This record gives sequence, structure tokens and C-alpha cells, in this order.
Amino acid sequence: MFDAALSALQSLAQPSLLIMLLVGVAAGLVMGLIPGLGGTGAVAILLPVTFGMEPAQAFALLIGALAVVHTSDTVSAVLLGAPGSASASVTMLDGYAMARRGQAKRALSLAFLSSMAGGLIGALGLTLAIPLARPLVLSFASPELFMLTVLGVSLAAVLSRGNVVKGILCGLLGLLLGMVGTSPTTAEERFTFGSLFLGDGLSLVAVALGIFGLAEIATRVGQRRTSRNLITLGGGWGTGIREWLTYWTQVIRGSLIGIWAGVLPGVGATAGTWLAYGQAVATAKDKRTFGKGDPRGIVGPESANNSVEAGDLIPTLLFGIPGGVPSAMLLGMLLTYGIQPGPAIVTEHLNLLYLIIWCFAIASIVGAFLCFLGTPTLAKLTKVPFAVLGPGLLVVMLLGAFQGGGQIGDLWVMIALGFVGWVLKATDSPRAPFLIGFVLAIPMERYYYLTATLNDGLGWMSRPWVLVFLAVLIGPALWALVKWARRRRNIASDDGHGIAAALLHDDDEGETDGLLKNSPWSLAVAVGSVTVCAAALVASTGFSPEAQLLPRLVSVAGILVGVVLLIQELRARQFWTRGRTAERLTVRTAVRTFTLMIGFLALVTLVGYLAAVLVFVPAYLLFVARARTRTTVIYTVVLGAALIALPSLIPVDLPTGLLG
Amino acid sequence: MTIAVVHSATPPGRAALLAGAQEALLRLEDLVIAVAAGSGPVTVEEVREQLGPTANQLDEEGLTIGIGHSQLSDPSDAVVQIAQENDARLLVLGLRRRTPVGKLIMGSLAQRILLEATCPVLAVKA
Repeated sequence: MFDAALSALQSLAQPSLLIMLLVGVAAGLVMGLIPGLGGTGAVAILLPVTFGMEPAQAFALLIGALAVVHTSDTVSAVLLGAPGSASASVTMLDGYAMARRGQAKRALSLAFLSSMAGGLIGALGLTLAIPLARPLVLSFASPELFMLTVLGVSLAAVLSRGNVVKGILCGLLGLLLGMVGTSPTTAEERFTFGSLFLGDGLSLVAVALGIFGLAEIATRVGQRRTSRNLITLGGGWGTGIREWLTYWTQVIRGSLIGIWAGVLPGVGATAGTWLAYGQAVATAKDKRTFGKGDPRGIVGPESANNSVEAGDLIPTLLFGIPGGVPSAMLLGMLLTYGIQPGPAIVTEHLNLLYLIIWCFAIASIVGAFLCFLGTPTLAKLTKVPFAVLGPGLLVVMLLGAFQGGGQIGDLWVMIALGFVGWVLKATDSPRAPFLIGFVLAIPMERYYYLTATLNDGLGWMSRPWVLVFLAVLIGPALWALVKWARRRRNIASDDGHGIAAALLHDDDEGETDGLLKNSPWSLAVAVGSVTVCAAALVASTGFSPEAQLLPRLVSVAGILVGVVLLIQELRARQFWTRGRTAERLTVRTAVRTFTLMIGFLALVTLVGYLAAVLVFVPAYLLFVARARTRTTVIYTVVLGAALIALPSLIPVDLPTGLLG
Repeated sequence: MTIAVVHSATPPGRAALLAGAQEALLRLEDLVIAVAAGSGPVTVEEVREQLGPTANQLDEEGLTIGIGHSQLSDPSDAVVQIAQENDARLLVLGLRRRTPVGKLIMGSLAQRILLEATCPVLAVKA
């Protein structure tokens, strides 16, 4: 084990790996500064770049970015009072208050150092998890692995914020979407409607970028320039660094909470940071200064949000169930390289595992160092309104999704799913279980098939670890029942402290979230889900017995859960808030944004990518974002030049149009 | 120094408010209503309405009624923070009946406040 760790470190001496790591760190830092991208956006945008690379280089790039996204997202939270990602909103409470008192450098140095330590402790946790979990993982056969996939989806559904019914429904819909394409057991095509393009299944990048990336653009593009001004960097770095050393216990506690939150599927960086903040407050004797610039309110959460990403990797790599959305994408990438997480990775690819850990640790240190150096200049980036960043991000995301299969069809799928993602986000349905379900659909089916053919009857159910997983599966169901009972009794004054309150904060949280909850939109979600599941049930009758088993199971479950949601929504009709201007504005902005996206894609199909970008971006900036002419010209020229230069630098293809 | 009362729109909560106001009259301290995030917004007028004649007695003594807010999401931490900020001499809290099993599953806000508060706590039953 020690040898493997050292040889992994040696392989990092290769310049190509080191360069990839540094590029990843730089990209991760920039994406952390842009509001709304976070770890999900960073991995989704960088993932297409890694197509065609060796696994080691690809991981160096992605881990480099993932490890530092939560280091730089603090900058806008502290200096602008507007968090770069949902998880940084915790740091904002005390960090922004401290910055307003002219101690911005103190707050930032506390945050950067804590992020670094969080990343290092997270990497250490990942290292320790390998020898601990190895004998366990090696004892697993297909029944246990099948149970783990079920567990992954259901835990993500139950632990996500808000309505459990919605979470489960999203998980089931994700599973159904993952089954589109060739069945892994019988090689027959399912849900493809005879289309050759759907036969390969949907591209992971397109699904992830659609559900999260485009949905984020559609909700944020309506936001105009922030009225707040950047706080000037006051105070000294030194005081913060010295002070940080005295809070080392808080750092360790925060990091451990982060790892724990990361290991749980569906509990992401945001819930982890709130948990860390909660414990920092709960264990402090003097709570007077929390929320008003208390260093303890920065140190704990900042350590936690970096260690969450490392904690996420533990179940992802060792058991093959993703702990969060970014790691779900890493899992998808591992599968495309033919590396099976779980037993295979601890025996055959131990070197890669240690490489990931080293990359995480090194990136954490380099990221914090670069943040100290670059903050004065990079801070200005946080002032750019999202409406201006939007078209550039759209261009990059669509280009990324195109790299998977080189098909325009992927882009249409992406925009359609972007709309689905926006509806889910606006109606307060968790999207993490959806993506986790999508990624786990094929492994789940494959392990189920192996379990059913290698074991007679239901004897596999009595294997010890299967029983343990069953217990874990039933536990959350009881927890959901308790939550439901509590809501029934309507105990307002004595409700939700500790974990429950922290879990209310999900990764895809924003002020526009849930705006369309209790509206015709959320009823439409319920109706739509039931319809989709019913259609899937009807369509699955045409498959062979082996291929129809799981789709049928999932769609029947989907119909049942969907009907429950439908009843809930119909009951909630009396609370419908109709015709509020904020709602109408949100819907209008989103519909307009998606119409523009469709228009852009139609243009791409017709005249090719470069020409379409040169038309769409300036038009969008001038007429929708109302940017200045000078900005528009520079923006377009830079973007165009980048698109021309890109294919010669990294292996990417631009979509070509019908007209050449 | 002040007397802090944990706000709650329940019978024990109202009993706590009355007891707190009487303590304030007795000790001649200002009254602060600690509002946690989950218990809903409350105004001074609503508090005065609930107190009825006791509110006028407070006025006669020249004592004020204030509302304390906290950004903390955990209600018990929020209450303790408000009490500390306002330099409370006494924290008044309503207790409600809960079965041992219920307490095991849900935990208790009152219990955490009792353990964490840095001033004496008066627990009132409805």
C-alpha cells in the first residue's frame, strides 16, 4: 500500500501530469469565482476536455479543479456579500461582516487556510479509508454491489432537501433516463423509438450540463448587476494567518464533519458547511459574535466545504456509489475508461487511487497559495453580472456536450433537459438524485442480472452485508415517516434543530429556488412524471423478459410515487399563489432564455458553430444583457479567437453546419 | 440587564411571556423577546396585545419591550445568542408536555437551551 502511494507520487513528477494539475487548479479557481457554477459546473465543463486523455491526466485535471472550487468561492462571499456557490453562503454570515469592518484580508486568509487544511484532511481521510474499506470491498459480490446501487439512489433521494416524495420520484426518473439505449444484459434497444442516435444512450456530459448548467443559466440570467460595491481589501494577511493557528481544533472538527457529510450520498457541500457552522455555534460558550464577524464562523465551514469533496470520493471510488453530483460525473468518467469502481479499483488501479489523493492534496495547497496571490486582481471578476457571463458559458457548455459523441442531437437533448432541470429547480425538486440515478441505472441492472442468474431464488437476500444494506435502506424510510408525522402534528416551536435544520440546505439552493412551488408548475411536474412512467411501462412490454424487468419495476414504482405526489399537489392547491410578479418574471426570463438557446442551436445546425457564435453572442449581449458596445466587441472577438485557436491546442471539434 | 423570553405561539409560550413580564416588573428590567428563525415573525404590538394590562404596568415603570433577532439557523443557539447579546439576567422559557419517546426522537429545544444558556433559566409550564 505504501509502495503504491509512493509510486503514485513519483508519477506526478511527469511534467504532463503536473501541467494538467495546474491547469485544473487554475480553471477550478476561476469557476469558483463565477457564481452558480460550483463543483458541478467545474467538472461538467472540464470533463469534455479530458476525452482522449489518459486516465491519470484526466483525473489530475478534474481533481485539481474540484479540490479548489470551494477555496475561491469565498472571495465573492466575503468581498461582495454574494456567495459564489451555495455552500459559501455560510462563510458570508461572518466573513462579510468581518470585511465590512475593514478586515477583509483577515477573513480571506482565515478562509483560504481553512480550505487548504480541509482539503488536506479530506485527502488524509480518503487515504485512511482505503485500507479500512479494502477487506470489506473485496468481500463484495454482485448481490452486495446491486444493493449498494439501490442504496446510492435511495439515500440521495431521502437525504436531499425538502419533499422526500419528490426526491424519490427524481431518482426513479433518473434511473429511467439512464435505461435509454442498449440494454446491458440482452443488447436490445430500449426507449430509442428506432433512433440510432439514442441507441448509445444519452451522453453523461449532456445530461449533467443540461440539468445543472443550463438550468442555472436560465435562472440567473435575469439577475442584473449587483448594486453592492466590492469591499476594499483591508487589514493584513498576517493577523489572519496567526489567528488561524489558534483555531486548529475548529479546523479539524469542521473537516471531519465535511468528510462525513461527503460520504453520505446526496448530502453535499452546502449541507456539510451548515452542519459545521452549527457545531461551531453549538460548542461555543460565548455565542455573541456569531453572524457579526466571528472567526470561528469562517474557519469551521470553510474547512468543511473542501473536505466534503474528498469525502464524496470515498463511496464513489470504493463502493461505486457517488456521494454527490460532481463525483457522480467522475464515476461516469471512470466507467467510460472501463475502470470499475469497487473491488476492481482497489486491486488493479490502486495507483490511480493514490494519484487522485496526491492530486487533491497538492491542489489544495497550490489553490490556497494562488488565492493569496491572485485575490486582489481576481476579485474584480466577481463583479461581472451573470447576464454577461451567460452567453459565454452557454457556448462553452454546448461545445463541451458536443465532444462526447460529436452529434448535434446531444445538444438538443441537453437543452430539453435544461428545461426539465429548470422546472425541477423552480419547483423545489432535488436534482442530485436524478443525476445519481442516471449514472447508476446501467450498473444497477448489470449487477441485478448477475445476482439473479448466479443465485437461485432469493437466497442472496440473506447474505450478511445485503441484510445490513437492507436495514440502512429501511432506516431512512422510518426517518421519512417520522418527519411526516412531525409535520402532521405541526410542531412549529420545537422543530428542526441540529442536523435536520442543516439538511434543509441543498446544493442547488438559490433565492429563486422553489419560487414555483405550490403553483400549476409543480402540479405539472407530478402529472408529467406519472405520464412518463406510464409511457415507459407501456413501452417496456415490447422488450424481452430480461430486458423489461428493471424498467418495469422502476416505472411501476414511479407511477406509485408519482400518484402520491399528485395527491399532495392537489391538496396543496388551496395554497397556490397565483400571478405574483416575481413568478411571472422568472418564468418569462427562463422561457426567453430557452427560446434563445433553441434559436442558437438552430443557427449552429444551419451555419456551423463559429459563425453562429459570432452572430448570437453580440446579439445577446447588446439586446438582452444590454452590455456596452465596447464590451460586446471585445467579448465576441476574444470568444471567436478562442474558438479558432482551441482545436489546435486541445482535441476538440466544432460542430459544422449544413451550409459548411 | 434584561429579562429575555423565548417566543413561541403556543400556550406554554404565552405563559412564559406573562411570567417574563412579571419578572421584569419585579426586578425592574427591560423585556426582550427572543425570536428564533422557525417561530415566525412577531411585532411589539402583538406582544403588548398578549400581555394586556401587564404591558401598561411595564410602561408605567418606564420599562421597554424589545424584539431580539438572530441570524443563526438553530433555534436554541439563536435564543442563547440573543440572551447573551442583551445581557439577560434571566431567560424565561415555556415547557410543553412531550412523551419520553417523542423526546428521544425529536430532541428538545428546551433541553438544549437549559444546558447551553449562560444565565439562570426560568422554565414555565402551561
